[in-house]
Amino acid sequence: MTDILISADQLSVGYGKPLIENISFHVRGGEIMTLIGPNGSGKSTILKTLAGYLKVLGGRICLEEKQAESIPGKEKAKKLSVLLTERIRPELMTCRDVVETGRYPYTGHFGILSEKDKEAAQKAIEMVEIGDFADKDFSAVSDGQRQRVMLARAICQEPEILILDEPTSYLDIHHKILFLEVLRKLAHEKKLAVIVSMHELDFAEKISDYTLCVKDGSIYRAGTPKEIFNDQVLHELFDISAELYRRYF
Amino acid sequence: MKKESVRLTAAFLGTALLLFLVFCMNLFTGSAEISFSEVVKILASLGREGTAADILWKIRVPRALSAMLLGGALALSGYLLQTFFHNPIAGPFVLGVSSGAKLTVALVMIFLMGRYRSVGSAVMIMAAFAGSMLSLGFVLLISRKVKRMSMLVVCGVMIGYICSAVTDFVVTFADDSDIVNLRSWSLGTFSGMTMDNVAAIFLVVAVAFGGAFLLSKPIGAYQMGESYAQNLGVRVIALRAALILLSGLLSACVTAFAGPVSFVGIAVPHIIRVVFRTSKPILLIPACFLGGSIFCMVCDMIARTAFAPTELSISTVTAIFGAPVVILIMVRRRKGEY
Repeated sequence: MTDILISADQLSVGYGKPLIENISFHVRGGEIMTLIGPNGSGKSTILKTLAGYLKVLGGRICLEEKQAESIPGKEKAKKLSVLLTERIRPELMTCRDVVETGRYPYTGHFGILSEKDKEAAQKAIEMVEIGDFADKDFSAVSDGQRQRVMLARAICQEPEILILDEPTSYLDIHHKILFLEVLRKLAHEKKLAVIVSMHELDFAEKISDYTLCVKDGSIYRAGTPKEIFNDQVLHELFDISAELYRRYF
Repeated sequence: MKKESVRLTAAFLGTALLLFLVFCMNLFTGSAEISFSEVVKILASLGREGTAADILWKIRVPRALSAMLLGGALALSGYLLQTFFHNPIAGPFVLGVSSGAKLTVALVMIFLMGRYRSVGSAVMIMAAFAGSMLSLGFVLLISRKVKRMSMLVVCGVMIGYICSAVTDFVVTFADDSDIVNLRSWSLGTFSGMTMDNVAAIFLVVAVAFGGAFLLSKPIGAYQMGESYAQNLGVRVIALRAALILLSGLLSACVTAFAGPVSFVGIAVPHIIRVVFRTSKPILLIPACFLGGSIFCMVCDMIARTAFAPTELSISTVTAIFGAPVVILIMVRRRKGEY
Protein backbone atom coordinates (compact mmCIF):
# COMPACT_ATOMS: atom_id res chain seq x y z
CA MET A 1 0.00 0.00 0.00
CA THR A 2 1.27 3.42 -0.89
CA ASP A 3 1.04 6.46 1.33
CA ILE A 4 -2.00 8.66 1.73
CA LEU A 5 -1.24 11.78 -0.33
CA ILE A 6 -4.34 13.87 0.30
CA SER A 7 -7.03 13.56 2.91
CA ALA A 8 -10.00 15.50 4.18
CA ASP A 9 -11.27 15.23 7.70
CA GLN A 10 -14.73 16.58 8.65
CA LEU A 11 -14.24 19.18 5.92
CA SER A 12 -16.78 21.98 5.35
CA VAL A 13 -16.73 23.80 2.04
CA GLY A 14 -18.65 26.69 0.49
CA TYR A 15 -18.48 30.30 -0.59
CA GLY A 16 -18.38 32.11 2.74
CA LYS A 17 -20.95 29.92 4.43
CA PRO A 18 -20.84 26.13 4.47
CA LEU A 19 -22.50 24.45 1.51
CA ILE A 20 -21.38 20.91 2.17
CA GLU A 21 -20.23 19.68 5.56
CA ASN A 22 -18.63 16.62 7.00
CA ILE A 23 -16.57 15.52 4.04
CA SER A 24 -14.01 12.89 4.91
CA PHE A 25 -11.90 10.80 2.57
CA HIS A 26 -8.34 9.95 1.73
CA VAL A 27 -6.63 9.22 -1.56
CA ARG A 28 -3.42 7.19 -1.81
CA GLY A 29 -0.81 7.42 -4.53
CA GLY A 30 -2.02 5.37 -7.48
CA GLU A 31 -5.70 5.84 -6.75
CA ILE A 32 -8.36 7.72 -8.65
CA MET A 33 -11.27 9.25 -6.76
CA THR A 34 -14.22 10.51 -8.77
CA LEU A 35 -16.90 13.01 -7.78
CA ILE A 36 -20.27 12.52 -9.39
CA GLY A 37 -23.60 14.26 -8.91
CA PRO A 38 -26.04 16.67 -10.53
CA ASN A 39 -25.03 20.12 -11.80
CA GLY A 40 -24.75 22.68 -9.02
CA SER A 41 -24.47 20.03 -6.32
CA GLY A 42 -21.11 21.37 -5.15
CA LYS A 43 -18.53 19.18 -6.89
CA SER A 44 -16.56 22.20 -8.05
CA THR A 45 -16.80 23.80 -4.62
CA ILE A 46 -15.19 20.74 -3.08
CA LEU A 47 -12.45 20.66 -5.70
CA LYS A 48 -11.78 24.38 -5.39
CA THR A 49 -11.40 24.03 -1.65
CA LEU A 50 -9.06 21.08 -2.02
CA ALA A 51 -6.93 23.04 -4.48
CA GLY A 52 -6.78 26.01 -2.10
CA TYR A 53 -8.93 28.52 -4.02
CA LEU A 54 -11.60 28.62 -1.34
CA LYS A 55 -11.08 28.87 2.39
CA VAL A 56 -11.58 25.76 4.46
CA LEU A 57 -14.72 26.50 6.48
CA GLY A 58 -14.32 23.66 8.93
CA GLY A 59 -12.35 20.49 9.46
CA ARG A 60 -9.06 20.09 7.63
CA ILE A 61 -7.29 19.08 4.47
CA CYS A 62 -3.92 17.39 4.71
CA LEU A 63 -1.35 16.86 1.99
CA GLU A 64 0.47 13.81 3.32
CA GLU A 65 0.83 14.72 7.00
CA LYS A 66 0.83 18.48 6.64
CA GLN A 67 -2.18 20.74 6.90
CA ALA A 68 -2.73 22.21 3.43
CA GLU A 69 -3.07 25.88 4.41
CA SER A 70 0.27 25.88 6.20
CA ILE A 71 2.19 24.92 3.06
CA PRO A 72 3.67 27.92 1.23
CA GLY A 73 2.50 28.52 -2.37
CA LYS A 74 5.69 27.56 -4.20
CA GLU A 75 6.08 24.35 -2.24
CA LYS A 76 2.44 23.41 -2.68
CA ALA A 77 2.77 24.02 -6.41
CA LYS A 78 5.21 21.12 -6.53
CA LYS A 79 2.75 18.82 -4.80
CA LEU A 80 -0.58 19.64 -6.31
CA SER A 81 -1.65 20.75 -9.77
CA VAL A 82 -5.01 21.41 -11.32
CA LEU A 83 -7.02 21.33 -14.51
CA LEU A 84 -9.94 23.73 -14.25
CA THR A 85 -13.09 24.47 -16.22
CA GLU A 86 -11.84 28.02 -16.73
CA ARG A 87 -10.77 28.45 -20.37
CA ILE A 88 -7.48 30.10 -21.02
CA ARG A 89 -6.83 32.20 -24.10
CA PRO A 90 -3.13 32.76 -24.34
CA GLU A 91 -1.88 34.83 -27.25
CA LEU A 92 0.92 33.73 -29.49
CA MET A 93 1.76 30.66 -27.44
CA THR A 94 2.39 27.23 -28.89
CA CYS A 95 1.03 24.18 -27.09
CA ARG A 96 4.56 23.51 -25.91
CA ASP A 97 4.78 27.03 -24.43
CA VAL A 98 1.57 26.35 -22.52
CA VAL A 99 2.90 23.03 -21.22
CA GLU A 100 6.13 24.70 -20.15
CA THR A 101 4.29 27.18 -17.93
CA GLY A 102 3.91 24.22 -15.57
CA ARG A 103 7.64 24.49 -14.80
CA TYR A 104 7.07 27.77 -12.96
CA PRO A 105 7.77 26.46 -9.45
CA TYR A 106 11.10 25.01 -10.60
CA THR A 107 12.65 27.89 -12.56
CA GLY A 108 14.77 30.76 -11.22
CA HIS A 109 13.88 34.37 -10.73
CA PHE A 110 13.49 35.19 -14.41
CA GLY A 111 11.71 31.98 -15.30
CA ILE A 112 14.33 30.87 -17.84
CA LEU A 113 13.85 27.17 -18.65
CA SER A 114 16.84 24.92 -18.10
CA GLU A 115 17.52 21.82 -20.20
CA LYS A 116 15.98 19.79 -17.40
CA ASP A 117 12.80 21.84 -17.52
CA LYS A 118 12.56 21.38 -21.27
CA GLU A 119 13.07 17.64 -20.87
CA ALA A 120 10.28 17.49 -18.29
CA ALA A 121 7.97 19.32 -20.69
CA GLN A 122 8.93 16.95 -23.50
CA LYS A 123 8.23 13.94 -21.26
CA ALA A 124 4.82 15.32 -20.34
CA ILE A 125 4.09 15.91 -24.01
CA GLU A 126 5.00 12.31 -24.84
CA MET A 127 3.02 10.93 -21.94
CA VAL A 128 -0.14 12.69 -23.13
CA GLU A 129 0.72 11.96 -26.77
CA ILE A 130 0.39 15.48 -28.07
CA GLY A 131 3.76 15.50 -29.86
CA ASP A 132 2.09 15.79 -33.27
CA PHE A 133 0.74 19.24 -32.59
CA ALA A 134 2.92 20.42 -29.71
CA ASP A 135 4.49 23.18 -31.78
CA LYS A 136 1.22 24.46 -33.20
CA ASP A 137 -0.36 27.60 -31.84
CA PHE A 138 -2.56 26.83 -28.83
CA SER A 139 -5.47 28.79 -30.29
CA ALA A 140 -5.30 26.73 -33.49
CA VAL A 141 -5.94 23.27 -32.00
CA SER A 142 -9.28 21.66 -31.12
CA ASP A 143 -10.94 21.66 -27.70
CA GLY A 144 -10.07 18.03 -27.16
CA GLN A 145 -6.45 18.64 -28.00
CA ARG A 146 -6.35 21.72 -25.79
CA GLN A 147 -7.63 19.75 -22.86
CA ARG A 148 -4.80 17.26 -23.26
CA VAL A 149 -2.31 20.12 -23.53
CA MET A 150 -3.65 21.44 -20.23
CA LEU A 151 -3.23 17.96 -18.76
CA ALA A 152 0.37 17.87 -19.99
CA ARG A 153 0.85 21.27 -18.37
CA ALA A 154 -0.44 19.91 -15.07
CA ILE A 155 1.84 16.86 -15.31
CA CYS A 156 4.84 18.99 -16.22
CA GLN A 157 4.45 20.58 -12.78
CA GLU A 158 5.47 17.15 -11.42
CA PRO A 159 2.77 16.99 -8.76
CA GLU A 160 1.88 14.15 -6.46
CA ILE A 161 -1.78 15.09 -6.54
CA LEU A 162 -3.85 16.01 -9.56
CA ILE A 163 -7.21 17.73 -9.24
CA LEU A 164 -9.41 17.93 -12.35
CA ASP A 165 -12.78 19.63 -12.64
CA GLU A 166 -14.96 18.01 -15.32
CA PRO A 167 -12.04 17.60 -17.70
CA THR A 168 -13.91 15.46 -20.20
CA SER A 169 -17.22 17.34 -20.40
CA TYR A 170 -16.82 18.93 -23.79
CA LEU A 171 -14.83 16.19 -25.47
CA ASP A 172 -16.07 13.69 -28.02
CA ILE A 173 -15.86 9.98 -27.21
CA HIS A 174 -12.51 9.60 -28.95
CA HIS A 175 -10.93 12.35 -26.88
CA LYS A 176 -12.71 11.32 -23.68
CA ILE A 177 -11.18 7.87 -23.90
CA LEU A 178 -7.72 9.15 -24.78
CA PHE A 179 -7.90 11.57 -21.88
CA LEU A 180 -9.04 9.02 -19.32
CA GLU A 181 -6.42 6.57 -20.51
CA VAL A 182 -3.73 9.12 -19.64
CA LEU A 183 -5.30 9.66 -16.22
CA ARG A 184 -5.25 5.93 -15.60
CA LYS A 185 -1.58 5.74 -16.64
CA LEU A 186 -0.71 8.67 -14.35
CA ALA A 187 -2.31 6.99 -11.38
CA HIS A 188 -1.10 3.48 -11.99
CA GLU A 189 2.37 4.09 -13.36
CA LYS A 190 3.36 7.41 -11.80
CA LYS A 191 1.50 6.71 -8.55
CA LEU A 192 -0.28 10.03 -8.53
CA ALA A 193 -3.35 10.65 -6.42
CA VAL A 194 -6.06 11.77 -8.85
CA ILE A 195 -9.29 13.51 -7.87
CA VAL A 196 -11.63 14.15 -10.75
CA SER A 197 -15.24 15.28 -11.12
CA MET A 198 -17.21 14.03 -14.09
CA HIS A 199 -20.66 13.52 -15.55
CA GLU A 200 -20.01 10.37 -17.55
CA LEU A 201 -21.14 7.64 -15.17
CA ASP A 202 -20.10 4.79 -17.43
CA PHE A 203 -16.55 6.09 -17.59
CA ALA A 204 -16.49 7.04 -13.92
CA GLU A 205 -17.34 3.48 -12.98
CA LYS A 206 -14.46 2.14 -15.05
CA ILE A 207 -11.70 4.39 -13.77
CA SER A 208 -12.65 5.00 -10.12
CA ASP A 209 -11.09 3.39 -7.13
CA TYR A 210 -13.41 5.35 -4.92
CA THR A 211 -16.38 7.62 -5.62
CA LEU A 212 -18.06 10.48 -3.78
CA CYS A 213 -21.68 11.18 -4.72
CA VAL A 214 -22.54 14.81 -4.11
CA LYS A 215 -26.16 15.88 -3.88
CA ASP A 216 -28.04 18.81 -2.35
CA GLY A 217 -25.22 20.04 -0.20
CA SER A 218 -24.12 16.76 1.25
CA ILE A 219 -22.12 13.69 0.45
CA TYR A 220 -24.98 11.45 -0.48
CA ARG A 221 -22.94 8.28 -0.72
CA ALA A 222 -19.30 7.34 -0.81
CA GLY A 223 -17.70 4.05 -1.68
CA THR A 224 -16.06 1.79 -4.21
CA PRO A 225 -17.51 1.59 -7.73
CA LYS A 226 -19.23 -1.69 -6.78
CA GLU A 227 -21.10 0.02 -3.96
CA ILE A 228 -22.01 3.12 -5.92
CA PHE A 229 -22.70 2.21 -9.49
CA ASN A 230 -25.97 0.38 -9.16
CA ASP A 231 -29.44 1.43 -10.23
CA GLN A 232 -30.64 2.12 -6.72
CA VAL A 233 -27.99 4.71 -5.86
CA LEU A 234 -27.84 6.37 -9.24
CA HIS A 235 -31.49 6.99 -9.85
CA GLU A 236 -31.81 8.52 -6.44
CA LEU A 237 -28.65 10.58 -6.87
CA PHE A 238 -29.91 12.13 -10.09
CA ASP A 239 -33.61 12.28 -9.10
CA ILE A 240 -34.81 10.05 -11.88
CA SER A 241 -37.48 7.40 -11.44
CA ALA A 242 -36.17 3.86 -11.47
CA GLU A 243 -38.14 3.11 -14.59
CA LEU A 244 -36.81 6.07 -16.52
CA TYR A 245 -33.30 5.31 -15.35
CA ARG A 246 -33.45 1.75 -16.63
CA ARG A 247 -34.67 2.84 -20.01
CA TYR A 248 -31.44 4.72 -20.61
CA PHE A 249 -28.83 2.75 -18.66
CA MET B 1 14.70 26.86 -31.07
CA LYS B 2 17.93 28.23 -32.54
CA LYS B 3 16.00 29.95 -35.31
CA GLU B 4 13.71 31.49 -32.73
CA SER B 5 16.52 33.17 -30.81
CA VAL B 6 18.13 34.44 -34.02
CA ARG B 7 14.83 36.01 -35.02
CA LEU B 8 14.36 37.64 -31.63
CA THR B 9 17.92 38.97 -31.56
CA ALA B 10 17.43 40.43 -35.02
CA ALA B 11 14.16 42.04 -33.92
CA PHE B 12 15.82 43.59 -30.88
CA LEU B 13 18.82 44.85 -32.84
CA GLY B 14 16.53 46.25 -35.52
CA THR B 15 14.42 48.08 -32.97
CA ALA B 16 17.46 49.47 -31.18
CA LEU B 17 18.93 50.69 -34.47
CA LEU B 18 15.64 52.31 -35.40
CA LEU B 19 15.53 54.00 -32.01
CA PHE B 20 18.99 55.45 -32.60
CA LEU B 21 18.08 56.69 -36.09
CA VAL B 22 14.85 58.29 -34.94
CA PHE B 23 16.64 59.96 -32.05
CA CYS B 24 19.20 61.45 -34.44
CA MET B 25 16.49 62.61 -36.81
CA ASN B 26 14.83 64.40 -33.95
CA LEU B 27 18.03 66.31 -33.29
CA PHE B 28 18.49 67.23 -36.95
CA THR B 29 15.01 68.55 -37.61
CA GLY B 30 13.19 71.53 -36.23
CA SER B 31 11.68 74.90 -37.04
CA ALA B 32 15.04 76.62 -36.68
CA GLU B 33 17.38 75.98 -39.61
CA ILE B 34 20.50 74.30 -38.32
CA SER B 35 22.52 72.51 -40.95
CA PHE B 36 23.43 68.85 -40.67
CA SER B 37 27.15 69.55 -40.36
CA GLU B 38 26.54 72.15 -37.71
CA VAL B 39 24.52 69.73 -35.57
CA VAL B 40 27.24 67.11 -35.90
CA LYS B 41 29.85 69.69 -34.96
CA ILE B 42 27.93 70.84 -31.90
CA LEU B 43 27.30 67.27 -30.78
CA ALA B 44 30.86 66.15 -31.39
CA SER B 45 32.58 69.05 -29.69
CA LEU B 46 29.91 69.39 -27.05
CA GLY B 47 30.09 73.07 -28.00
CA ARG B 48 27.82 75.23 -25.93
CA GLU B 49 28.16 78.62 -27.56
CA GLY B 50 25.82 80.32 -29.97
CA THR B 51 22.13 80.14 -30.70
CA ALA B 52 22.37 76.87 -32.57
CA ALA B 53 24.02 75.13 -29.64
CA ASP B 54 21.43 76.57 -27.29
CA ILE B 55 18.59 75.31 -29.45
CA LEU B 56 20.16 71.91 -29.60
CA TRP B 57 21.07 71.45 -25.95
CA LYS B 58 18.21 73.31 -24.35
CA ILE B 59 15.37 72.39 -26.69
CA ARG B 60 15.94 69.49 -29.02
CA VAL B 61 17.96 67.12 -26.82
CA PRO B 62 15.72 67.32 -23.74
CA ARG B 63 12.63 67.10 -25.94
CA ALA B 64 13.88 64.02 -27.79
CA LEU B 65 14.99 62.39 -24.54
CA SER B 66 11.68 63.04 -22.83
CA ALA B 67 9.73 61.74 -25.84
CA MET B 68 11.88 58.63 -25.74
CA LEU B 69 11.46 57.98 -22.01
CA LEU B 70 7.80 58.93 -21.78
CA GLY B 71 6.88 57.04 -24.94
CA GLY B 72 8.45 53.91 -23.52
CA ALA B 73 6.69 54.54 -20.22
CA LEU B 74 3.31 54.81 -21.93
CA ALA B 75 3.74 51.65 -23.93
CA LEU B 76 4.85 49.74 -20.86
CA SER B 77 1.97 51.14 -18.82
CA GLY B 78 -0.41 49.97 -21.53
CA TYR B 79 1.17 46.53 -21.62
CA LEU B 80 0.82 46.13 -17.84
CA LEU B 81 -2.83 47.22 -17.91
CA GLN B 82 -3.57 44.83 -20.76
CA THR B 83 -2.02 42.04 -18.74
CA PHE B 84 -3.95 43.03 -15.65
CA PHE B 85 -7.33 43.10 -17.39
CA HIS B 86 -6.57 40.27 -19.83
CA ASN B 87 -7.75 42.74 -22.44
CA PRO B 88 -5.80 43.85 -25.51
CA ILE B 89 -7.58 47.19 -25.79
CA ALA B 90 -6.81 48.37 -22.27
CA GLY B 91 -4.47 51.31 -21.93
CA PRO B 92 -3.95 54.34 -19.70
CA PHE B 93 -5.77 56.67 -22.10
CA VAL B 94 -8.87 54.62 -22.87
CA LEU B 95 -9.34 53.59 -19.25
CA GLY B 96 -9.40 57.23 -18.19
CA VAL B 97 -6.19 56.97 -16.18
CA SER B 98 -4.46 59.74 -18.13
CA SER B 99 -7.46 62.02 -17.82
CA GLY B 100 -7.68 61.42 -14.07
CA ALA B 101 -4.05 62.40 -13.77
CA LYS B 102 -4.65 65.42 -15.99
CA LEU B 103 -7.39 66.62 -13.69
CA THR B 104 -5.39 66.41 -10.49
CA VAL B 105 -2.31 67.94 -12.09
CA ALA B 106 -4.35 70.84 -13.46
CA LEU B 107 -5.90 71.45 -10.05
CA VAL B 108 -2.56 71.33 -8.29
CA MET B 109 -0.91 73.56 -10.88
CA ILE B 110 -3.60 76.21 -10.73
CA PHE B 111 -3.66 76.12 -6.97
CA LEU B 112 0.10 76.27 -6.49
CA MET B 113 1.12 78.48 -9.42
CA GLY B 114 -0.99 81.33 -8.07
CA ARG B 115 1.18 81.25 -4.98
CA TYR B 116 4.63 80.02 -5.91
CA ARG B 117 4.99 80.66 -9.67
CA SER B 118 6.54 77.26 -10.27
CA VAL B 119 5.75 73.72 -9.25
CA GLY B 120 8.39 71.05 -8.63
CA SER B 121 8.59 67.86 -10.66
CA ALA B 122 8.03 65.67 -7.63
CA VAL B 123 4.81 67.47 -6.70
CA MET B 124 3.51 67.13 -10.26
CA ILE B 125 4.28 63.42 -10.39
CA MET B 126 2.62 62.84 -7.04
CA ALA B 127 -0.47 64.77 -8.10
CA ALA B 128 -0.65 62.82 -11.34
CA PHE B 129 -0.15 59.54 -9.50
CA ALA B 130 -3.02 60.36 -7.14
CA GLY B 131 -5.26 61.15 -10.11
CA SER B 132 -4.23 57.96 -11.93
CA MET B 133 -5.00 55.85 -8.89
CA LEU B 134 -8.36 57.55 -8.45
CA SER B 135 -9.53 56.77 -11.98
CA LEU B 136 -8.03 53.30 -11.83
CA GLY B 137 -9.89 52.76 -8.57
CA PHE B 138 -13.14 53.60 -10.33
CA VAL B 139 -12.34 51.34 -13.25
CA LEU B 140 -11.52 48.52 -10.82
CA LEU B 141 -14.79 49.00 -8.96
CA ILE B 142 -16.68 48.84 -12.23
CA SER B 143 -14.70 45.83 -13.40
CA ARG B 144 -15.97 43.86 -10.42
CA LYS B 145 -19.53 44.41 -11.59
CA VAL B 146 -19.02 44.36 -15.34
CA LYS B 147 -17.37 41.28 -16.72
CA ARG B 148 -17.56 42.22 -20.38
CA MET B 149 -14.25 43.69 -21.46
CA SER B 150 -15.71 46.02 -24.07
CA MET B 151 -18.02 47.53 -21.46
CA LEU B 152 -15.08 48.10 -19.18
CA VAL B 153 -13.38 50.13 -21.87
CA VAL B 154 -16.56 52.12 -22.47
CA CYS B 155 -16.70 52.91 -18.74
CA GLY B 156 -13.05 53.97 -18.84
CA VAL B 157 -13.71 56.29 -21.77
CA MET B 158 -16.63 57.84 -19.88
CA ILE B 159 -14.49 58.42 -16.80
CA GLY B 160 -11.97 60.03 -19.12
CA TYR B 161 -14.59 62.37 -20.53
CA ILE B 162 -15.81 63.38 -17.10
CA CYS B 163 -12.29 64.18 -15.93
CA SER B 164 -11.51 66.08 -19.14
CA ALA B 165 -14.69 68.10 -18.81
CA VAL B 166 -13.86 69.09 -15.27
CA THR B 167 -10.31 69.95 -16.31
CA ASP B 168 -11.55 72.15 -19.15
CA PHE B 169 -13.90 73.85 -16.75
CA VAL B 170 -11.12 74.58 -14.28
CA VAL B 171 -8.74 75.73 -16.98
CA THR B 172 -11.33 78.09 -18.45
CA PHE B 173 -11.81 79.85 -15.15
CA ALA B 174 -8.18 79.90 -14.10
CA ASP B 175 -6.13 83.11 -14.13
CA ASP B 176 -4.97 84.01 -17.60
CA SER B 177 -1.31 84.11 -16.72
CA ASP B 178 -1.41 80.57 -15.34
CA ILE B 179 -3.01 78.90 -18.26
CA VAL B 180 -0.74 79.78 -21.13
CA ASN B 181 1.24 76.63 -20.46
CA LEU B 182 -1.68 74.72 -19.06
CA ARG B 183 -3.69 74.84 -22.22
CA SER B 184 -1.10 73.28 -24.48
CA TRP B 185 -0.12 70.86 -21.74
CA SER B 186 -3.70 69.68 -21.27
CA LEU B 187 -3.78 68.67 -24.94
CA GLY B 188 -0.49 66.84 -24.68
CA THR B 189 2.92 68.07 -25.77
CA PHE B 190 6.60 67.33 -25.32
CA SER B 191 7.60 70.97 -25.73
CA GLY B 192 9.18 73.00 -22.98
CA MET B 193 11.07 70.13 -21.37
CA THR B 194 14.23 70.97 -19.47
CA MET B 195 17.14 68.70 -18.63
CA ASP B 196 15.96 68.80 -15.01
CA ASN B 197 12.62 67.40 -16.14
CA VAL B 198 14.42 64.70 -18.08
CA ALA B 199 16.40 63.73 -14.99
CA ALA B 200 13.22 63.42 -12.91
CA ILE B 201 11.50 61.43 -15.65
CA PHE B 202 14.48 59.13 -15.98
CA LEU B 203 14.48 58.39 -12.27
CA VAL B 204 10.79 57.47 -12.07
CA VAL B 205 10.69 55.55 -15.35
CA ALA B 206 13.85 53.59 -14.54
CA VAL B 207 12.44 52.47 -11.20
CA ALA B 208 9.10 51.43 -12.70
CA PHE B 209 10.73 49.68 -15.64
CA GLY B 210 13.04 47.78 -13.31
CA GLY B 211 10.11 46.77 -11.16
CA ALA B 212 8.11 45.52 -14.13
CA PHE B 213 11.09 43.62 -15.53
CA LEU B 214 11.70 41.86 -12.22
CA LEU B 215 8.06 40.77 -12.23
CA SER B 216 8.22 39.25 -15.71
CA LYS B 217 8.11 35.67 -14.41
CA PRO B 218 4.88 36.00 -12.39
CA ILE B 219 3.39 38.17 -15.14
CA GLY B 220 3.97 35.27 -17.53
CA ALA B 221 2.12 32.91 -15.21
CA TYR B 222 -0.65 35.46 -14.72
CA GLN B 223 -1.30 35.42 -18.47
CA MET B 224 -2.60 31.88 -17.99
CA GLY B 225 -5.41 33.19 -15.82
CA GLU B 226 -5.50 33.94 -12.12
CA SER B 227 -6.45 30.45 -10.99
CA TYR B 228 -3.61 28.73 -12.79
CA ALA B 229 -1.21 31.42 -11.63
CA GLN B 230 -2.25 30.85 -8.04
CA ASN B 231 -1.83 27.10 -8.40
CA LEU B 232 1.72 27.71 -9.67
CA GLY B 233 2.50 29.57 -6.45
CA VAL B 234 2.06 33.17 -7.66
CA ARG B 235 0.77 35.53 -4.98
CA VAL B 236 -1.95 36.83 -7.23
CA ILE B 237 -3.21 39.66 -5.02
CA ALA B 238 0.27 41.09 -4.55
CA LEU B 239 0.98 40.81 -8.25
CA ARG B 240 -2.26 42.56 -9.20
CA ALA B 241 -1.47 45.40 -6.80
CA ALA B 242 2.03 45.71 -8.25
CA LEU B 243 0.71 45.81 -11.81
CA ILE B 244 -1.71 48.59 -10.94
CA LEU B 245 0.86 50.62 -9.01
CA LEU B 246 3.52 50.34 -11.71
CA SER B 247 1.22 51.14 -14.61
CA GLY B 248 -0.29 54.03 -12.64
CA LEU B 249 3.15 55.41 -11.82
CA LEU B 250 4.31 55.19 -15.43
CA SER B 251 1.28 56.90 -16.91
CA ALA B 252 1.29 59.47 -14.07
CA CYS B 253 4.84 60.39 -14.98
CA VAL B 254 3.83 60.87 -18.61
CA THR B 255 0.80 62.98 -17.78
CA ALA B 256 2.67 65.11 -15.25
CA PHE B 257 5.19 66.23 -17.87
CA ALA B 258 3.58 65.85 -21.27
CA GLY B 259 -0.13 65.83 -20.55
CA PRO B 260 -2.39 63.02 -21.72
CA VAL B 261 -1.03 61.18 -24.75
CA SER B 262 -3.51 58.95 -26.53
CA PHE B 263 -3.30 55.45 -28.02
CA VAL B 264 0.41 54.76 -27.52
CA GLY B 265 -0.43 52.43 -24.65
CA ILE B 266 -2.67 50.24 -26.80
CA ALA B 267 -1.11 50.46 -30.22
CA VAL B 268 2.53 49.86 -29.36
CA PRO B 269 2.22 46.62 -27.34
CA HIS B 270 0.04 45.27 -30.13
CA ILE B 271 2.52 46.16 -32.88
CA ILE B 272 5.34 44.75 -30.77
CA ARG B 273 3.54 41.43 -30.31
CA VAL B 274 3.08 41.15 -34.05
CA VAL B 275 6.70 42.03 -34.79
CA PHE B 276 8.28 39.88 -32.07
CA ARG B 277 5.70 37.09 -32.27
CA THR B 278 6.07 36.17 -28.63
CA SER B 279 4.04 36.50 -25.46
CA LYS B 280 6.96 36.15 -23.03
CA PRO B 281 6.93 39.18 -20.72
CA ILE B 282 10.68 39.07 -20.25
CA LEU B 283 11.01 39.95 -23.95
CA LEU B 284 7.86 42.04 -24.34
CA ILE B 285 8.60 44.42 -21.48
CA PRO B 286 11.85 45.79 -22.94
CA ALA B 287 10.51 45.50 -26.49
CA CYS B 288 7.37 47.50 -25.67
CA PHE B 289 9.52 50.15 -24.06
CA LEU B 290 11.73 50.47 -27.15
CA GLY B 291 8.68 50.46 -29.42
CA GLY B 292 6.95 53.17 -27.40
CA SER B 293 10.09 55.32 -27.52
CA ILE B 294 10.30 55.06 -31.29
CA PHE B 295 6.57 55.63 -31.77
CA CYS B 296 6.50 58.77 -29.62
CA MET B 297 9.66 60.26 -31.07
CA VAL B 298 8.35 59.80 -34.61
CA CYS B 299 4.99 61.27 -33.65
CA ASP B 300 6.62 64.19 -31.88
CA MET B 301 8.78 64.87 -34.91
CA ILE B 302 5.68 64.98 -37.08
CA ALA B 303 3.86 67.13 -34.52
CA ARG B 304 6.50 69.81 -34.53
CA THR B 305 7.64 69.76 -38.15
CA ALA B 306 4.58 68.94 -40.26
CA PHE B 307 3.05 72.42 -40.04
CA ALA B 308 6.01 74.31 -38.58
CA PRO B 309 6.13 76.78 -36.99
CA THR B 310 2.67 75.77 -35.75
CA GLU B 311 2.85 72.72 -33.52
CA LEU B 312 0.26 69.99 -33.39
CA SER B 313 -0.56 68.45 -30.03
CA ILE B 314 1.13 65.09 -29.66
CA SER B 315 -2.18 63.29 -29.16
CA THR B 316 -3.39 64.47 -32.55
CA VAL B 317 -0.56 62.61 -34.20
CA THR B 318 -0.55 59.52 -31.97
CA ALA B 319 -4.29 59.15 -32.52
CA ILE B 320 -3.90 59.18 -36.29
CA PHE B 321 -1.44 56.31 -36.13
CA GLY B 322 -2.74 54.58 -33.01
CA ALA B 323 -6.51 54.51 -33.45
CA PRO B 324 -6.46 52.41 -36.65
CA VAL B 325 -4.41 49.82 -34.77
CA VAL B 326 -7.14 49.58 -32.13
CA ILE B 327 -9.75 49.03 -34.83
CA LEU B 328 -7.52 46.36 -36.34
CA ILE B 329 -7.25 44.59 -33.00
CA MET B 330 -11.02 44.47 -32.60
CA VAL B 331 -11.58 43.21 -36.13
CA ARG B 332 -8.99 40.46 -35.66
CA ARG B 333 -10.50 39.50 -32.32
CA ARG B 334 -13.85 39.05 -33.99
CA LYS B 335 -12.29 36.66 -36.45
CA GLY B 336 -11.09 34.61 -33.54
CA GLU B 337 -7.43 35.15 -34.08
CA TYR B 338 -7.19 36.05 -30.43
